[in-house]
Amino acid sequence: MARRRSILWSGLQLVLKAPGALLWAYALNLGLAILFSLRLHAQLAAILDHSLAAERLNTAFDIGTMIGVVHRLNYMAPSTGATSYIGLPLYLLGYFILVPGALFCYRSDAPSRLSILASSGLSYFWRFVRITLLTGIVAAIVLVPLSMLQAAWSSQVDDNFVGVAALERQLPGIAILFLVAALLRLYFDLVEVYTVQLGDQLREDGKPDRRVRRVLLPALRTLWHNLGRAYFSFVALTLLGFAALLGTGYLAMHMLAQPRVWPMFLLAQAGLLSMIATRFWQRGAETILAFDYPLLSPEPFVVEPELEPATEVDLPTHFAGDAQPDPEPAAPSLEEPDPAVFHHEIPPPPPAPKPAPQSEEAEPRKGPVPWWME
Amino acid sequence: MLHSSPIFILMLVLATSALAQTPSGKTPDGKTSLATNAPQDQPLSTRVVAYNINAHIDVKKKTVDATETLTYKNLTGQPLTTFPFHLYLNAFQADSTFTSETHFGGGIRASDAANDYPAKNVGSIAISHLEADGYGDLTESLRFVAPDDNNANDKTVAELQLPKPLAAGASITFRMSFHDQFPESVARNGYKRDFLMGGQWFPKIGVFWQGKWNCHQYHSTTEFFSNFGTFNVALTLPKNYTVGASGVPTGDHLNADGTRTLSFYGEDIHDFAWAASPHFTVTNGTFLSSMGPVQIRVLALESHPDAGRRYLEIIRASMKQFDTRYGPYPYKILTVIDPEPDSEMEGMEYPTLITGGTSWFDPTYITEITAEHEFGHEYWYGMVASNEFEDAWLDEGINSYTEVEVTAAILGRETNFVRFPWANLSDAAQQYASYIDMPDYDPVTRNAWQFRNAASYGGITYGKTAVLLETLEGIIGKDTMDEALQTYFMRYRFTHPTAEDFLRTIEEVAIKRGRATGNYGKQSPSQMPALRGIFPLPNSPQILLGSSLRPYFNQAIYGTAVLDYAVEVVSSDPAKWWLSGSKDKSMRDTVTVRRIGDFMLPVILEVVFSDGTRVREHWDPASTPNDRWKTFIYLRDAKIVSAEIDPDHTVQLDASRFNNSRTIAANPVPARKLTNLWTSWLQLASQLAGWFV
Repeated sequence: MARRRSILWSGLQLVLKAPGALLWAYALNLGLAILFSLRLHAQLAAILDHSLAAERLNTAFDIGTMIGVVHRLNYMAPSTGATSYIGLPLYLLGYFILVPGALFCYRSDAPSRLSILASSGLSYFWRFVRITLLTGIVAAIVLVPLSMLQAAWSSQVDDNFVGVAALERQLPGIAILFLVAALLRLYFDLVEVYTVQLGDQLREDGKPDRRVRRVLLPALRTLWHNLGRAYFSFVALTLLGFAALLGTGYLAMHMLAQPRVWPMFLLAQAGLLSMIATRFWQRGAETILAFDYPLLSPEPFVVEPELEPATEVDLPTHFAGDAQPDPEPAAPSLEEPDPAVFHHEIPPPPPAPKPAPQSEEAEPRKGPVPWWME
Repeated sequence: MLHSSPIFILMLVLATSALAQTPSGKTPDGKTSLATNAPQDQPLSTRVVAYNINAHIDVKKKTVDATETLTYKNLTGQPLTTFPFHLYLNAFQADSTFTSETHFGGGIRASDAANDYPAKNVGSIAISHLEADGYGDLTESLRFVAPDDNNANDKTVAELQLPKPLAAGASITFRMSFHDQFPESVARNGYKRDFLMGGQWFPKIGVFWQGKWNCHQYHSTTEFFSNFGTFNVALTLPKNYTVGASGVPTGDHLNADGTRTLSFYGEDIHDFAWAASPHFTVTNGTFLSSMGPVQIRVLALESHPDAGRRYLEIIRASMKQFDTRYGPYPYKILTVIDPEPDSEMEGMEYPTLITGGTSWFDPTYITEITAEHEFGHEYWYGMVASNEFEDAWLDEGINSYTEVEVTAAILGRETNFVRFPWANLSDAAQQYASYIDMPDYDPVTRNAWQFRNAASYGGITYGKTAVLLETLEGIIGKDTMDEALQTYFMRYRFTHPTAEDFLRTIEEVAIKRGRATGNYGKQSPSQMPALRGIFPLPNSPQILLGSSLRPYFNQAIYGTAVLDYAVEVVSSDPAKWWLSGSKDKSMRDTVTVRRIGDFMLPVILEVVFSDGTRVREHWDPASTPNDRWKTFIYLRDAKIVSAEIDPDHTVQLDASRFNNSRTIAANPVPARKLTNLWTSWLQLASQLAGWFV
């Protein structure tokens, strides 16, 4: 029998135990946004810093003045706003690395240092890209017809009702769309968690198992057996994240007229951090679920919440072994590291691989190949 | 104070009956007019037309079958053989000029960019029979014409050729039957759900104006131009429908077949529109104008529970403002229609009937501004009936200006569009934003259908006109501007004035008040304007030949030059720069002002020094038209703190207000605020995109 525990609570503990993943994702989110707003800020400063007309944005927030700024900006540097969006694909790129890195840390109790997040995340990068493509295809198959139905229903409602009456009739359709989309997201979240779990295991040829298709059914099975609590947790956390964002956004907006920026900035960031935190909380909860319902386990087993010291990295077995290059010997002539030399943050030597407890297929771990040689 | 609608209607019906039974044709209170509070026993306008229409409305098929009797008085001073008629419902067809313009250039309302024309959007009007007393059946004499673009497929104007001319001073009575098919609304009329809007729904004769017929096709951006007269209209439709219409209600008769026939009568108006819905709730109120009581009848949708109150309050407040500022509202009623959402029929004006625009949740003042704007059209279009095709700015532009002024008085100058605890938006800023979007493609005086596109039409006709009149107000003073508009209204109401009529009125008042200079000359008899209605024009032999305001008019109204001045350089340096480290504090302060745009207007520069003194300079670039810049140098023991062009903020026409001033000290807060908003948005967008992973 699989162990059942509160996935919300345990998931939160998991996230808090490895906060680096969340914090790095947030830092990436904020850093890229700031970086790609710098040009805009320079343009805005050129327009506003020395203009008395900007006073209407200082001790008040005159929307007309803001419209004037936008117009001026479009006249002076029309591409400024558009180029800011370059940060978005870059964030997605980073997120493609950080999410599997986070799942790896959650699963393995590895410290959520950036180097570990990045190295493990990179090893799963293409698998996650494949999963995302699959998610897109399935979402299109499921959600596009549903959206068309919703549009038809909405049009039908619009032909006969207006105002609140129309909204009341359209909202259920929108809610169904949201719930189905949430279910799909939850399922593919589980696929991602199981993909990381499968990545621990080596195939007969000694290579890590990267077959996403092998986790599709187990993820579905786990979702099916835990639909209620998994779905509830997922939806609740989604709503919590958006509610936090809306709440802080509402409060931040009310500070627009103040002649200082930092309170509004902090509130907005609190909301954005909350939103991303609930997303990682969802990942943590899904990891717990995958712990409780492990992959390829003919017999249910219990994962002991055995936490190792932060320095002992539980890397997958294919990180260790013969193919791991020996660290270079330290230069004997220097008492201190030469600052001119670029230093990689080399993870400490991995401990001896643990015996794989869960499956027979996991046993033949021999001849591991580092991910960067694959 | 509210009072119930049935009582008012009953009073009107009784009044109608009394009128019918009194041999003198007077109402019990001694007045002739049923529909207006005219102070004298004569019409307010020169009534050229008299329409009698009996219409049956099929609310399921969205059709109208009607008979129309039109009596036209030939006051042109010459015999007439041809008569053009507007058949504007034919605009809603795939090959019409309206649809073509909307498809390729955008529309003020729906922009038909799709590559199909749905059947539900097809509208039509067909005259099945037309005869004229003394002329017989003329149905076969009707032919479609396209005076504006020669589009052979456009059927929005039909011309009738009489077999013999109608003598000057004579009248002709046309009798016709016509059939309407209402479209699901594309612009201004038609149907949406079970709401019907009868606008431009009957054959309406063109205006003989400036020596010829003026009857334009229906265009994407233009509105209407018609003759003053009387309208007596009976509408038959299912009894569960509530109807609002131009004029006063004069009868309500229940028929045996479950329908009801509602009668309306309007006089000294130039168009007739109606709206019907089974979902209207009625809110009534009154306003006591300087000419008598006015009933405000609001028909709001049940789904907009707060709309009735909001419309009533803003209309009453607007009537008060207009009555005080510009002149009285002479009609006995104003009907406010709350159209269906997304109907493309919101915010439309017809004589004594307007449509508002609201939603079930409107935390802004859009509801109020829309209602006020449309009420303003009762003055600038309804009574001062300029040619909307050729001088759209005279109604939409002047009305946008008065909208800014009137709503500022009611809702606050800085908050009359949005008033949140944390942000505000003024109506003036909204007009300015539409102006600076496309400030120089077209002059405001261009024929409305000949603008570059719908955006330019909107930005120039509404936005630029409002802004240039605000600037004019800054030049001649607010009191002078108010008096000029009042003079214009009182002088030209119930007539069809031109752009020059408006501009000369402003010049005349500004000169009288000493806010402008001008020179007068002799006026030839042919230039003497005819007396119109009961409000005679000044019978002066002098004519204004020019004024100091002309250069402004020529640039702002007839031209496309952009006004943009900038404080380019502000600096304070040691006057004795070679004595570095000395205790001498004398400074050489420099301000350079630059004229960026081609528009030339005298500007005032205010320089503020660190010792608190303020110096104002005057620069008239017209005195040296080849100079684009001017530098002001000061030697004093103080540094410059700031320099600002137009310190009183009267030159609203300046296309960029941010470069009008420059401070020595930087204030980073505004830029940081906006950057913070943008950064937060980018973060949110990134996080939302992250849900795909």
